[in-house]
Amino acid sequence: MTVLILTCRQDVTADMVIAKLHDRGVPLVRLDPADLPGEAALSAEYVRGDFYGHLSTGGRLLSMGALRSVWVRRPGDPAAHAEEPSQWLTAETEQALYGMLYSVTARWMNHPVVSAQARCKPWQLSLAHRSGFAVPPTVITTFPRVARQFAAQYRDIVVKSASGPPPGDPPVSLPTTRVPPGTDFSSVAAGPTLLQQYVPKRADIRLTAVGPRLFAARKRSVDGQVDGRYGDTGEPWRAADVPERVARSVREYMGLAGLAYAAFDFAEDAEGLWWFLEANQGGQFGFIELETGLPVAEAVAGWLAPPAGEQG
Amino acid sequence: MRPFVLKYVLPAESPAVTLPYTYDSALQLNVLPDGRPAIVDRDLILVTGTTTSTAGSKTHFDD
Repeated sequence: MTVLILTCRQDVTADMVIAKLHDRGVPLVRLDPADLPGEAALSAEYVRGDFYGHLSTGGRLLSMGALRSVWVRRPGDPAAHAEEPSQWLTAETEQALYGMLYSVTARWMNHPVVSAQARCKPWQLSLAHRSGFAVPPTVITTFPRVARQFAAQYRDIVVKSASGPPPGDPPVSLPTTRVPPGTDFSSVAAGPTLLQQYVPKRADIRLTAVGPRLFAARKRSVDGQVDGRYGDTGEPWRAADVPERVARSVREYMGLAGLAYAAFDFAEDAEGLWWFLEANQGGQFGFIELETGLPVAEAVAGWLAPPAGEQG
Repeated sequence: MRPFVLKYVLPAESPAVTLPYTYDSALQLNVLPDGRPAIVDRDLILVTGTTTSTAGSKTHFDD
């Protein structure tokens, strides 16, 4: 039985897992949907209740009947590398590829339908509350009056994007940023704005959940740093223990969301409480494993292809 | 009127880098010029930043 890994060629984080699967002798096919059609090809037949599907890339042929699991790591857009790419061709190719894969009873890390919902930050906050995490008070609004009231009530707040930075050339970043007192909120009317109470933190926590296995890393914060993803402070990531209360909440969250994998970001305050910031269903783990030695890749490989006798 | 959050955009910190490895379709891994898998060179992979949180990738959702 074969593992299918959907990712782009340059993805060395996927390499870390593929090397583990090679060590275990697990058959695998690595495919970038951007290469379909062209370097990759597929065919699926739906005839009188029977379904047969095949996928080929790099000289390998994968029958859907032999598909064990699918890891959606960092796939390109379907047909992005086609001779004549277009939005229409991408939509057609997406239907053909994912429609075929959805027709198989393989396990997914993560299923794209689940991932689409899990990427929605306001929904994450709702789920985090239900899962028992400490969550900073948050508002997402297009009412300037509501934004002003929120700022007045919580005083020290940050603004962040729900979907990431806007596309542009040259590229821009949009880190979580503290909003100074006296800010004019009138332009909140021009776009939904996510404001959150600032959590004074002594460390950033990155917790990677792979099925039931949890791997936490901690990086000490420096004064003035708000968004731990930006700026090299020289502080290293170190492996950390997961408080039992947090572990319960993570497992609750994963179950409610239907996720097999997620990378959680927390802010650790002066009392040691971990405040939920977000859970990224496709979050990077390569840098965590390389800096801390936490065996995340081994865990992913084990989930995709459990040893005989293990449910995984 | 420009949306409020866009007041806080900054130039991206990481310009495009030339990756010191290439994809080997036989191994299904990226390899260094000497043929070794790229992931054996931990320091090099960390320097390229390709395994690091990218804070809101619009195309890959993997920050």
